[in-house]
Amino acid sequence: MAHRFARGPDGRASQKRQKVVHEAPTSEEVHASRQLQQLLSFSQDPIRARHGLQSFKLFLDQLLGPDGNNGDRPRILKDYLQSTTPAADDESPVYLPDVMQTWSYGAQTNNENIMSAVPVVLALLLKLLSQSLESVPFGLGICRTLLQKRQQELVARNLSADKGKSFIISPTLRMLTEAASFDGGAIAKPLFRARASMLKSLARNMGIVHRGDEAEDTKRPSARSNAILFLLSALKYLHPEAKNELLSQRDIVAALTRDVKQDPPYLVKELLEGLRAHVLLDDKLPRDAKASLLNASTLTRLSALYQYRLDTPAEGETSIADIAHEFLMAACTSPGCGLLRQDAGFYPRELDPNAPIPTAVLDEWGLEVIVWMNKFKTEIPVRNYALSNFLPNLRPWSSLKQSELVISIFKAAPELVAHYFLNNKSFTFEPKLSATWTGYAAFLFHTVTLPIPDHFCRGPDFPALPPPTSIVVDNILPPPLNQKALSRSLANKSNMISFFATRILVVALEKLDAALTMHRDPSHAHKTAWAEAARRLVDEFRQRSPGVTEMINAYRSVPEGDILHREAASRLLRLCYEVLPQHALLAKFDVSPFLETSLTRLSRQDLEDPKDFALSLKELENLLSIAGYSPGMRWFAAPEGVSLSPFTRLLKVCIDAPRGVSLGTIREVVNFVAVEEGLVPRVDGHPGLLALLEASQVLRQSYPDSITHVWPFLDNCLSRYANSPVKYVEKFYDLIDEATEPAVQGLTSADVSLATIAMLEQLPFAAAKEGSQHVLRALGRFLPSFLGYSAAAGESKALLDLILSKMVPHLPDSKRKVKAGVLKGLQFQHNPWPSAKATETGKAKGTGASRKEELPTPAMDPETLEDMLHVPDGLEADNSALVRWSSKSVDELVDEGYLKSLVALLVSEHASIRKEALVNIRKAAAKIKESEYEERDQVWLLLMELAETAGDKINDGPLASPIAAFACHAIDVQRDPLSCLYPKVNTFLVRGPSWSPDRIPLVDDILEGDPIVPNTYYTQTSWLLGYLIDGLRTKHDLELFHKRRAMGPILEHVLVSATNPYLRWPLKLQVLRLLYRATCIEGGSTTLTTRFGIMSWLEATQAGCTDASEAAVYEALRKRVWETSDQDRVRAWSRGGLDGLSW
Amino acid sequence: MPPPQLSDQQVAAEFTSYYLQRATKEFAEDLDKVRSADDFKNDALQILVSALQQGTAMFFPEEQRRIVTAAAGPVDKS
Repeated sequence: MAHRFARGPDGRASQKRQKVVHEAPTSEEVHASRQLQQLLSFSQDPIRARHGLQSFKLFLDQLLGPDGNNGDRPRILKDYLQSTTPAADDESPVYLPDVMQTWSYGAQTNNENIMSAVPVVLALLLKLLSQSLESVPFGLGICRTLLQKRQQELVARNLSADKGKSFIISPTLRMLTEAASFDGGAIAKPLFRARASMLKSLARNMGIVHRGDEAEDTKRPSARSNAILFLLSALKYLHPEAKNELLSQRDIVAALTRDVKQDPPYLVKELLEGLRAHVLLDDKLPRDAKASLLNASTLTRLSALYQYRLDTPAEGETSIADIAHEFLMAACTSPGCGLLRQDAGFYPRELDPNAPIPTAVLDEWGLEVIVWMNKFKTEIPVRNYALSNFLPNLRPWSSLKQSELVISIFKAAPELVAHYFLNNKSFTFEPKLSATWTGYAAFLFHTVTLPIPDHFCRGPDFPALPPPTSIVVDNILPPPLNQKALSRSLANKSNMISFFATRILVVALEKLDAALTMHRDPSHAHKTAWAEAARRLVDEFRQRSPGVTEMINAYRSVPEGDILHREAASRLLRLCYEVLPQHALLAKFDVSPFLETSLTRLSRQDLEDPKDFALSLKELENLLSIAGYSPGMRWFAAPEGVSLSPFTRLLKVCIDAPRGVSLGTIREVVNFVAVEEGLVPRVDGHPGLLALLEASQVLRQSYPDSITHVWPFLDNCLSRYANSPVKYVEKFYDLIDEATEPAVQGLTSADVSLATIAMLEQLPFAAAKEGSQHVLRALGRFLPSFLGYSAAAGESKALLDLILSKMVPHLPDSKRKVKAGVLKGLQFQHNPWPSAKATETGKAKGTGASRKEELPTPAMDPETLEDMLHVPDGLEADNSALVRWSSKSVDELVDEGYLKSLVALLVSEHASIRKEALVNIRKAAAKIKESEYEERDQVWLLLMELAETAGDKINDGPLASPIAAFACHAIDVQRDPLSCLYPKVNTFLVRGPSWSPDRIPLVDDILEGDPIVPNTYYTQTSWLLGYLIDGLRTKHDLELFHKRRAMGPILEHVLVSATNPYLRWPLKLQVLRLLYRATCIEGGSTTLTTRFGIMSWLEATQAGCTDASEAAVYEALRKRVWETSDQDRVRAWSRGGLDGLSW
Repeated sequence: MPPPQLSDQQVAAEFTSYYLQRATKEFAEDLDKVRSADDFKNDALQILVSALQQGTAMFFPEEQRRIVTAAAGPVDKS
């Protein structure tokens, strides 16, 4: 009804708004088709017209009603429809002509009641007709009538009625919905063709929402609801081209979701399901059409449905939030839905990862020649622009589903991870015990665990150039996980915060490891560029990650009983040793006390739940791995206040473990140590330490009390052997020499476990002790059994018989034992016989025991040799060190390498830099002396002696590199009084105020002298070799290495030490690195060959190798020495003995 | 007769339950504090549980099996 303005007596419009009154139309019951005809016949009387339409409406309502008892009504309707059917030859047949005329008249006279009442009855009639196949032709006739020009105008007029006239707009939309879907969408196409009328004001009508405090009544849907249902109906039946055009109308797409948050549940459900079925999953619909619907603002509005509160889903019914989540998951992560675009993983848009850069240029200039390498630190162009705009609107920390959505998007489009965090700077990880922080932590954990895209680019091969390092590191430790936040989290007094940070670092290190492995892939075209990128990656990771020391402190502060937390913290440290060994080793972590605590807990057996025991074993395994990486691990030295050594306690844990707990890893470690230390023969087929384990287990089963008496004896024997193995080799040969049995003659120390010899030696002492009856009774049970299992393990039975015969006089019940001899044919029941590989190798350590002649030496290419033996220059000049140190605290100066950088400048080629460095070293020394730094005196002394040594000589030339390298490495010793080298370095320093400039310090003291701290010979040797490698850089340095001395040239001394059969592979590798460094110096290889006979040394050492991979290194190094030497000179020197033909 | 072998899903479910039980025991005090924080509403409980149990991802399936199946009780000392 049009607005009517009431006028007052003075003719002016009343200030009050006239109330619009809809007069209810009258109606009558329909009993016959003729009556219906009369009722609907055209009349200019609006009251009569409304009366007829209202009667027809009620008639149709009854037919559509749930009550099935319709009597004659269907027939009446049928008769009526037949009576109004236009003639078959009519060119433009008009169905229901009276009704159409009434509508037209209503429009002409502006009678809104009639304009509303006609679409109401037409919508009902179409709905009714669609239910029966018989009546379809009539329904189609009505639909086609609606498409005629006259009716189109009426529809358009109705649709564009004022916003407040929902009573006209809604029935028209309902009528169109019925028409669009009638007979399977038969007229959807022509309907869309007439879109100028049929879709008139659709976007606006979608904005006419339900007003009021109560929820929208499903029986009286708002214009918006009707408009959406009409659009969905059109989308369902339209062909792809038409849908494309429809969706390209921005106003409609925008209006579709603008008010979705307030829509009633049924409508939201229909909307999401309709869009999903008819847009997202329509394969024929072009990608652009889908993309125009799924823009960032649509997605953001739909994501508001995560907080939809209008529905109350019944049990088993899916909530709107869940439906919206499924919709968004499909829309954002499925490539077929049009939104997700294929990205290139860690390579941003617009760069060419296969840019043709010559290898020589890359080798010379490194990554700096790749213009884009450092370009993406602040901004990253992405292909998935819409998704990148949508992501910041989600709150993954406060909703599980949103977190799942974000993570799934990251997974589908890895390029977005770095972009997301760069553009969301407000995202901070400052620790706080709150739900939000926990949510952040969980979200970040998920992000870090996302896999790295295949070949970084999601392609089948690696591109020629590495991805930008900043992007890789952003994916491993996203920017909110910076050093400060992580350190504060690790050190937080809340254990849970520390635990969460630890877990994130664990997965980050695992991811870093995976990324580094990918950087080192042998298939890379530009190996040097990838290697440099790997180094940069490590550097950038370290700038974001807390230091190893902080991780150690965090581990230290974990309460004793928190085994889950302890496991995670120990795993983190283990990963540091595995992934960043050089940095981890710098932290000087003494694993022994932790190992001790863990062993004590496991030995006490106070863990009630066997699962707790198994979890504690995981911690122990981590610690054992760390111990394996720590050169200073003292396996056979019992800590103060503890009776047994770590090694024996590990054996004890293996024996005492609850049934069902898997001990594989621990046994491997124990066995590895036993093989390395020579406790058991290093030969193929020998099961290592299993004989000892089996005998102990059998004893524990039969005599649980006896085993407790055996442990101290065993510990004593093993420790004695480990401390002086050569003594027991000699004792073994003494035993062979004394023996008269022919079967024993010619045996070597590889035919029996040398630990047995130690037991034989120690037994008399054990027997001589007062009150040793219990021990002897236990040993009387244990030793014969042990020797029996040793025989079963393949050791010489004749020799074991001899040993038993020498043992029995000290054991009770000796006669019977002598008679019985060593037991034969014992079966291993508790310890599965391992494969040869498992007994010989510990985790990640190659210690093959097979004999060389049985294995061909695999060839090693020069690149692999370089990877293995090349050590970066530790004294590389960094002139910025001259100024950087002054702003640092003394702690940072000493602990973080600033001092070392300063010392390294003393070997600079430029006199001015050297002089400047010397002045600064003196200043730094003074600063340290005046500070509160705990080790200030020692560090000061070192620096001042270095300055005194350098003195005026640096005016003439660089300081000898070994001197500078010694000073650099000695700084680490001086800051750690617990270092095993502390006494030696300080003894050296107090000898005099300066050092001889042409003598390399401490070589003889370490290689020949008493280690002072027991069991640290190899640790000290490792330190010495480390500094010697850094100290061998120039021709002049090499001269110092082969200078004549009372004890022979330094290099000769080192080579002699390296022939020690007990030297472990990592130390041998250090010696080889020293030689490799020498080959890099001009004339170095020739000197090595002619002065030290290095070719023969390498050949002889290679011949003694039991591992083919080790032999390959010697072989490859020999080849390098030959290739880099003055071959004519070497050939003449060797009188043709060396001519390179052997390669 | 040996006990039937647990399926991977059973192992994962049992391990997750054990992990959660351990975590709630070790961080009981902190969890109480989080639950009394101002922002603990709506999905917060679900997030907290999910955050705790996501650490199971750090254990390989065989490690989970080792821990879950270590339930036969201590060795008989008699």
